[in-house]
Amino acid sequence: MDILIGILRAILFVVIAYAVVFVAALVNILYERRFMAFIGDRLGPNRTGPQGVLQSIADAFKMMGKEDFRPLLADPVLFTLAPVLVMIGAVSIQLVLPYTQGLAATQLNVGVIFLVAITSFTTLSILMGGWASRNKYSLVGALRAAAQMISYEIPMLLALLIVAMIVGSLRVGTIVAFQAHYEWIGFYSPFTFLIFYIASIAELNRGPFDLPESESELVAGYATEYSGMRFGMFYLNEYAGLTIMSMVAVTLFFGGWMGPWSSALTWLGVSWIGILWFLVKTYILVSMLVWIRFSIPRLQVDQLMGFAWKVLIPLGLANILITAAIILWVPSWKWGLAIFSWIAFFAFVGLLDPILKWKLRRQRERQPVVSA
Amino acid sequence: MYDHFETPEPDEAVKLALRRIEESTARGEGSEMDGLEFNEVVVNMGPQHPSTHGVLRLVVTLDGELVKDVIPVIGYLHRCKEKLAEKRTYFQYIPIVDRTEYLASINCEWGYVLAVEKLAGIRPTRRAEFIRVITGELMRIASHLVAVGTFTADLSPLGTAMVFYMFRDREQVLDLMEELTGARMMFNYFRFGGVRYDLPDGWAERCREFLKTFPAKIKEYEALVDDNAIFLQRTQGKGVITQQDVVDYGITGPNARASGVDLDLRRQRPYSVYPELEFDIITAHHGDIFDRYRVRMDEMRESLRIVEQCLDMLPKGPVQLGSLRAPYVITPPPGACYVGQENPRGEYGTYVESDGSRYPYRLKFRDPCFCNLQLFPKILSGNKIADAVAISGSIDLVLGGIDR
Repeated sequence: MDILIGILRAILFVVIAYAVVFVAALVNILYERRFMAFIGDRLGPNRTGPQGVLQSIADAFKMMGKEDFRPLLADPVLFTLAPVLVMIGAVSIQLVLPYTQGLAATQLNVGVIFLVAITSFTTLSILMGGWASRNKYSLVGALRAAAQMISYEIPMLLALLIVAMIVGSLRVGTIVAFQAHYEWIGFYSPFTFLIFYIASIAELNRGPFDLPESESELVAGYATEYSGMRFGMFYLNEYAGLTIMSMVAVTLFFGGWMGPWSSALTWLGVSWIGILWFLVKTYILVSMLVWIRFSIPRLQVDQLMGFAWKVLIPLGLANILITAAIILWVPSWKWGLAIFSWIAFFAFVGLLDPILKWKLRRQRERQPVVSA
Repeated sequence: MYDHFETPEPDEAVKLALRRIEESTARGEGSEMDGLEFNEVVVNMGPQHPSTHGVLRLVVTLDGELVKDVIPVIGYLHRCKEKLAEKRTYFQYIPIVDRTEYLASINCEWGYVLAVEKLAGIRPTRRAEFIRVITGELMRIASHLVAVGTFTADLSPLGTAMVFYMFRDREQVLDLMEELTGARMMFNYFRFGGVRYDLPDGWAERCREFLKTFPAKIKEYEALVDDNAIFLQRTQGKGVITQQDVVDYGITGPNARASGVDLDLRRQRPYSVYPELEFDIITAHHGDIFDRYRVRMDEMRESLRIVEQCLDMLPKGPVQLGSLRAPYVITPPPGACYVGQENPRGEYGTYVESDGSRYPYRLKFRDPCFCNLQLFPKILSGNKIADAVAISGSIDLVLGGIDR
C-alpha cells in the first residue's frame, strides 16, 4: 500500500512539475510580449482571445503544425535528443522546491547542491543541440552558452553557499522555515541576493546576457537550425526558466510561500493561500527580469566574461569571507550581517555605474582625435 | 535528382575568402599558436541575416570571435534603375527615383530634379524652393530616426524599445508628408520647376507643432542611451574612420562629419535656398561609432531649425512654373550635367546626359551608401563579431540605394 501511494505521489508531482513548466512558459511568453510592448509604447498581441490571452496557445499550435525538419548533415541522435533533454533542468529543479506548506515532492537534505547541479543540464542540451546541428552560427552560440554558464555558475554557487551558511542546512524546507516571521534572507543579505540574481539572469540566457542567441549577431544562436516543435521546446524552456529561476530565488531569499495568512486555509494538509503568495512573489521577480531585459544593452563576450571573473567572483568570495566572519564572531550576527550586506548592496549599486563612467570618460579623453 | 549529400559548390565570394585564408597561412600568419592550429571559418552573413538591414551579404572570415576578413557581396536588390531611365521620359522617371534609396526618397527626387533643371535651364519658383527644403529636411529627420533606431536595435534588446520610440515619432513626419503629398514613402512630389501640390490648409501650423514637440523626444532618446555605461563601452573607440579613410574611400555625410570633415554640400556647394538659411554643420572629432550616433542626433536638431526658418520665410506665390503647367514632356538641350546633393547619408549625385530627345541618353547615380560600403573590409576586420555588427549598423546602409 505504501509503495502504491509512493508511486501515485511521484506521478502527481511529475505531472505538477510538467504542468508548471508548460503553463509558466505559455503565460510568460504572452506576459513578456505585452510588457515589452508597454515599454516600447505599443499594444502587443491583443487579437487572439480577450486581450490576446490565447496568443501563446495559438503559437504553440502553429509550431506543432510545422514540418519536422532535420538538416541532413546534422547528427541525428544528438539533434533529436537535445530538445527532449532541455526540459530536464526546469522540471526536476521543482522536486526540491516547496510550492507551499505540505506541497513539496521531496525534502532532499542536499537540496541546494541538487539545485546547482540540475541547472547545468540546460547547458548540456544547448551544447548538444548547437554541436549537432552542423551550423557555424549554432556552434558559436552553443560554445558561448557553455562558456557563459560555466562562468556564472560560480558566483551563483558562492551566493547559495552563504544561504546555507546562514541557515546552517542545505535542506530547502529548512531554509524556508528559517525565514518565518518575515526574517527573509533577502533582507539579511541583499548583496548575496544581488549576486545570485545577476548570475541567474546569465544562467537564463536573458538580456543583457543573451549572447548565445543574440539575434543581431548569430541569427538565433544554438537554435538556428531548429524549427517547429523542436525549436518550441527550447523556446518553452527558456520562458519557463523565468518562472523557475524566480521560484528558486523566492524560496531561498524571500521566504518561499510565507506571507500574511499563508496558513489560514488548510485542506488535505496543504496551505492553499501559500501558493498565492509564492506566485505573487515569483511574478514580481519575473517582471523585474523582463524590465531589465529591455532597459540594458547587451554586453559583449569579453565584457561578459570579465564581469563574471573580475567583478562577481571576487566580490562573491569577499562576501563569503566577511559573512562567515560575522556569523562566527559577532554575537548578534543577524544585525551585523544585515548592516554589512546593505552597505555592500548600496555600494555596489551606487558605485559600479559611476566608476564605469569615470573610466570611460578617462578613456574618451585619451582617445586619439582623428580630426587633428 | 538532388543529391542530399553533395556539398554545393561555393560561389565566387566564398572561394575568394578561402583563397585569402590559404594565402595568409602560406605567409605563416596567425593560424598557429603554441603548436595549436586554429581553423578560420568562413561564415555567410546575409543576405537574410537580422542585422544586415536589407539584402547585404557579407562573407566573413572568423577566427573564433574575431573578424579576420570581410567580403561584401551586393546586387541582391538590383532593379536596373539606371537603365530604365533610357526608356522613359524625364517626367516618367520621377517616381522611379523614389525607389532607389527608399528611406530618404524625397531627397533622391530632389537630386534628380535638380540635375534635369540644371540641364534644361529651368528655375523653380521661390515658394516651391522653400517647400522643397521643408520636405527634404523632414525626410532627413525621418531617415536619421530609422538609422539610429535600427542601429540601437542591433546593439541590444534595449534597442527594440528604442526603435519603436523612433518609429512612433517617425510616424508624425510621415503623417505630415502624407497630408502634403498623398503618399507615405514613395512621394512622387517634385516636378521640374516646382512641386506638385501647395501646402494644404493648416499644414504649416501642424508642422510647427511637430517642431515644438520633437526636441523633447530627442532628449528622451538621449536620456535612454547616452548615459548608459554599457552603450558607451560598446560604442566609444570602436570602428574609427580616420580622415585619410574619408578621403581615400570617398566617405560623405554624417560618417565623414563624425571624423571631423566639415563636408556638407548644403554649405560647400549650396543649392536651392540653403545660402539664405542659418544652420550649423555638426562635426565630431573621434570618428567612432558613438560620434556617428551623436552627429545624427544633433543633425536632427539642425533640421528642425532649418524647417522652422523656412516656415517663417515662406513666400506667397505659385508652386509650379506657369509655362510648365503640364511638364509631361521636356526636352533638355544636348549635354551632360552632374549635381551633388546632400542626402541624409551623404552626397547623392545625379549625372544626366541628354541627346536632345525626350529620353535621357544616360543616367547615373552616385549613391553615398555605395561608397560607404567600400570601407567595410577595412573597418570591420580585427573586431569582434558583436563590434562588427555595431559598426555596420552605425555606417547606416540602405541597400535600395546601393543596388539601385
